[in-house]
Amino acid sequence: MKIVIAGGSNTADYIIKNFKGHSHQLTIINFDREAANYLAKSSKLPVFYGDPTKPYCLKDAHIEGSDIFIALGNRDCDNYVSCLLAKKIFNVKKCICIVSNPKNVEVFKRLGIDSVISSTEQLVQSILSESSLESFIKTMSLEDEKIVLTEIIIKSTYYIAHKHIMDINFPKTGSIACIYRRPRVIIPNGSTLILPKDKLIVLSTPNDQKDIISFVQRDKK
Amino acid sequence: MKKTSILKNKTLVIGCGSLGATIANKCSQEGKNIMVVDTDAKSFERLSDRFSGYTFVGDVTDLSTLEEAYITTAKEIIITTGDDNTNLFVAHIARVIYNVPQIYVRLSDPDSEILLKGMDIKSIFPLELSFDKFNLMRGGRK
Repeated sequence: MKIVIAGGSNTADYIIKNFKGHSHQLTIINFDREAANYLAKSSKLPVFYGDPTKPYCLKDAHIEGSDIFIALGNRDCDNYVSCLLAKKIFNVKKCICIVSNPKNVEVFKRLGIDSVISSTEQLVQSILSESSLESFIKTMSLEDEKIVLTEIIIKSTYYIAHKHIMDINFPKTGSIACIYRRPRVIIPNGSTLILPKDKLIVLSTPNDQKDIISFVQRDKK
Repeated sequence: MKKTSILKNKTLVIGCGSLGATIANKCSQEGKNIMVVDTDAKSFERLSDRFSGYTFVGDVTDLSTLEEAYITTAKEIIITTGDDNTNLFVAHIARVIYNVPQIYVRLSDPDSEILLKGMDIKSIFPLELSFDKFNLMRGGRK
């Protein structure tokens, strides 16, 4: 794959090390003299010194038709402009952009950047999922936090234990995607019986997640 | 800084450099509703004593600043910060997210124009203007 890495110093270095040698063709562009020298030294690859937000620089670096463009600059608007140039002018297939302001994730996506990463947002997400782990609930997000998979272990005291799915009136906002009953995986239907120690994998939107968890964990009256 | 209030049919000027301040002063003279935004409060010193619009300090690459400056009700936005990438970014936000009726942007690098294609954003290039003026003064053909 042809990969372009624009800007960044330590992050760029780490990414280069991971991609190097896996039959990828790397193009490194950096507009900071020191960072460019450092990257050239540590990666032993040629580094293109230039401003990735200028069309002529990207042209000189021959990024036309690359598979991935990764913008790691410090300023959000610089990353935005370089990604847009790569995508619109140089027909790069996929653009990945780092943003420092988490609010810009949504903005960049609406403006047409494929993939936007905010380290702050990721940090918050992992703290949140770590903290829900404490209450024996594991959460996984899909499609940029628009869908969540929640893992709930059934206890014998729960109201829904020893009941058929069709009888429990499961909230319409969620769906039981599968039940893990050691060592089998069950794709449930209405007649499936929920047993204690079952692991329910529930699909829902993040907004409805709380309601579903409290529904499942409701105790017997 | 003056207290802001909801303004309708407002002209929003982003960046209070010499161009931004000149436009702001002129609009204010004409009695238009005007709001000027800049990251540095000192730059508002460029505004004339008779300037009667609003000023707002904030980072224009942050959506909340633009919203606090009432971009949602603006009828026109003039983007004149000293950085082309900031200008392009704000212009695209103004078009795609807020759909401001009239968008003007000042860009120093004429190459940047390709990113404005098909977006109905009007661009001003000081370099081209100076070159045209020079040609005109020399009596040459444009």
